[in-house]
Amino acid sequence: MTTPATLPSLRGRLSRHFALQSMLGLGLVCGAVYFVIALTLSNRQDETLQQKRATVMRLLSEARDAHDVPAIKHMLSDFLTGHDDLSVVVRQSNGEAIFARNTAGELGAKTKRLAFVVALPAEIGDVGRAELIYDTSKDEALLTRLWWTLLTAAMVGSLAVSALGFLLVKKGLAPLDALASQTAQLDARRLDQRLDASGQPQEVQPLLLQFNALLDRLQVAYAQMEAFNADVAHELNNPLSILIGSCEVALRRERSTAELHDVLSSNLEDLRRIAAIVADMLFLSHAERGVPARRSAPMSLADLATEVIEYHEAALEEADLRVEIRGDACMAVDTGLVRRALSNLFGNAARYAERGSMIGVRIDRTDDGHVAIGVHNKGSLIPQEHLPRLFDRFYRVDPARSNASSNHGLGLAIVAAIAKMHGGTASADSSEAGSCIQFTLRDVQPAVPCELVSPQSAGADQPW
Amino acid sequence: MQANTMKLLVVEDEPKAAAYLRKGLSEEGYVVEVAHSGVDGLHMASVNEYDLVILDWMLPGIDGLALLAALRHTRSVPVLMLTARGQIEDRVRGLQGGADDYLVKPFAFSELVARIQVLLRRASGSRNAAEATQFRVADLDVDLARRKATRGGQRLDLTPKEFSLLALLLRRQGHVLSRTEIAAQVWDMNFDSETNVVEVAVRRLRSKLDQPFERPLLHTVRGVGYVLEERAA
Repeated sequence: MTTPATLPSLRGRLSRHFALQSMLGLGLVCGAVYFVIALTLSNRQDETLQQKRATVMRLLSEARDAHDVPAIKHMLSDFLTGHDDLSVVVRQSNGEAIFARNTAGELGAKTKRLAFVVALPAEIGDVGRAELIYDTSKDEALLTRLWWTLLTAAMVGSLAVSALGFLLVKKGLAPLDALASQTAQLDARRLDQRLDASGQPQEVQPLLLQFNALLDRLQVAYAQMEAFNADVAHELNNPLSILIGSCEVALRRERSTAELHDVLSSNLEDLRRIAAIVADMLFLSHAERGVPARRSAPMSLADLATEVIEYHEAALEEADLRVEIRGDACMAVDTGLVRRALSNLFGNAARYAERGSMIGVRIDRTDDGHVAIGVHNKGSLIPQEHLPRLFDRFYRVDPARSNASSNHGLGLAIVAAIAKMHGGTASADSSEAGSCIQFTLRDVQPAVPCELVSPQSAGADQPW
Repeated sequence: MQANTMKLLVVEDEPKAAAYLRKGLSEEGYVVEVAHSGVDGLHMASVNEYDLVILDWMLPGIDGLALLAALRHTRSVPVLMLTARGQIEDRVRGLQGGADDYLVKPFAFSELVARIQVLLRRASGSRNAAEATQFRVADLDVDLARRKATRGGQRLDLTPKEFSLLALLLRRQGHVLSRTEIAAQVWDMNFDSETNVVEVAVRRLRSKLDQPFERPLLHTVRGVGYVLEERAA
C-alpha cells in the first residue's frame, strides 16, 4: 500500500499558528505601550525645558536691574539647586561664558538642549545667549528597561499560549485516536458493526454518520451479492441436476438407439438453457462494467419497435394480442441492443397480457434529454413491493412460474442493463388497468425530426 | 457440393473439443486434420494446402490472433475464428486481423457447419453464380422470384415473413437451422432470445405447409433447431 502525501500534524500546525498569532498580538500591544510611553517622556522633557527657560528668562530679566553679575550667578546657582539633571550655560554676545554649571561633561550621554536669547546687564553687553541642557539618560534607561521587559513578556506569553494550544488541540483530538482504534476493530466478516458516535466532537459527527451510512450500503450490497450468487448457483443447479440424473439413468441399462437419442436430445435442450443463462450473465457483467453502447446513425425508434413487433408477430397473433405504437423519436442508439430490450419487453408483455387485449408502446421525449420507451399490457396487478425488484437478476414475482424454459428471469435485468449502457434507467408501474415497463435512453445528439432521417426499414438488408 | 474433397485444419488445444470437431466435420464429409497448439497449427497451415482453417482464439504458446497474423504473410486461406463469449472488442480485432468469420463459444455445431459452407462457397467463387430461385421438395413447389408456394398443386397462403422463413429452410434444405440463426436471417434479430417467437413462427408455417398434407416436410430436431427435408415414411 502506498502512503499518500499527508499534511503535517494538526497539533504542530495549530500550536505554531497560536505562537505566531499571540506573538503578533502581544507585539502590537507592547509596541503601542512602548511608543506611548516614549512619546509621553519626550513631551515631558520638552515641557520641563520650556518651564525652565521661562524661569531663567525671568531670573535674568530681574537680575539685569541689579547690574550685578555675581548676583546673577548666585541666582542661577540657587535655581539649579536640586536639579541634577539640568545645566545652564549663559554666554555674553562675544561668546564668553559668564555662567556654566553642570555642563555637558557632568551630565549623562543623552541630553536635550534648548537655546534662547536672554537680557543681560548693560555692562556685559545687554544681550546674551543661554542654553538649557536637560539630561534624558534616566528616561532613556527607563525606556530601555521597558523595551526588554515588554519583549520578554511577549515572547514568554507567546510560548505559553502556544504550549497551551498544543495541549488543548491534543485534548480536542483525543477522541479521534479512540475512533481510529474503533475503526481498526471493525471486522471485515461482520458487516453489522457500526462506529460509536458518543463522546465524539460535533465536527466529527457528520463524518461518523456518513461512514456508518457507507457501512449500511456495503452491508446491503454484500447481502445482495450473496443472494445473487445463490441465485446463479440455483439457476444452474436445476438443469445440471437434470443432466446428471438423466445421463446416469441412461447409462444404467442397455438402451436402444432411439432411447439414447431421446436422452441426448433432452440433454441438449438443458445444455442450451445453461448456455443461454451464461451468455446473458456475461452480457450483464459486460454492461455492469459501464461499457457504453455503440450508437449508430439516428433512426426512428417507432420503426425499430415495428421491426421487433414483426419478429413477435406470430406469437402475438397466437395470443390474440394487438400492438399499438404511439409517439416517435429519432436518435442514435445501438440498434441491436435496443431491439433486444424491446424484444424482451414484448415477450414479457405477451406472457402476462390478457388474451385479446392491446399492448401499448409509448415513445416520448422527456425534458431532461432522454427518450422514454414504455410497453404497457393489460394484466393482473403486480404488487407494489415487487416493482423496483423486477429488474433484479433472476427475480420473479411468482416463483411458481419459473419453470418455463424459455424464461430464465434475466430478461428485464437485460432491459435495465441496455438502458444503463445508453445512460438511462428502467422502471415499472402497475395498476388494476395493467402494467407498464419503461426504459429511457439518453440522447447524445441534438433532437432530430424523424422526417429528416432516412428510413431503415426492416429487412432492407435481407438477402432476398 | 463437393464436400468430400475439402480439407480442413482445426487448430484447437482442448482435446475434447478437437475430438468432437474432427468427428462431426468428418461425418459432414470433410477431410479434417487437427493441430493441438498454435506452433503446430502455424507450421501445418504454412506447409500444407487447406481449403479452410478453423482457429481457436485462446491457444497456448502462440495465440490465434498472432498465428493468423503470421499465416497471412504467406497464405490467403479462409479462416474461421472461434472466440470466447463477451470478447466483442476481440471479434472486431479478429476480423481486422484477417479472419474471414468468427463464431462465439458455445456455438451450435449446425451453425459451425453452415458458416463453413458459406466460407467455402465464397472461396470457390460459386457464390457469384446465380442462386436457384425455384425449389421442388416432394410435392412442394416454391418460386422465390414470384413469391409463390404450392403444395400438391394447392397454393399456400403465406405471410411475407412465413415466406422468408420457408425460403431460408429451402435454401439450406437438409441442414438443421438453429432458432438463433433463423431469427438473425429472417428478422435480423441478432441476439439469443428468451422468447419462443421462432418456435411459434415455425409452428404457424407448419400448420399451413404440413398439416393439410400427409407427409411432413418441416421437422424439429430437438435441442438443435429445424430442418426441411423429405424423409422416408
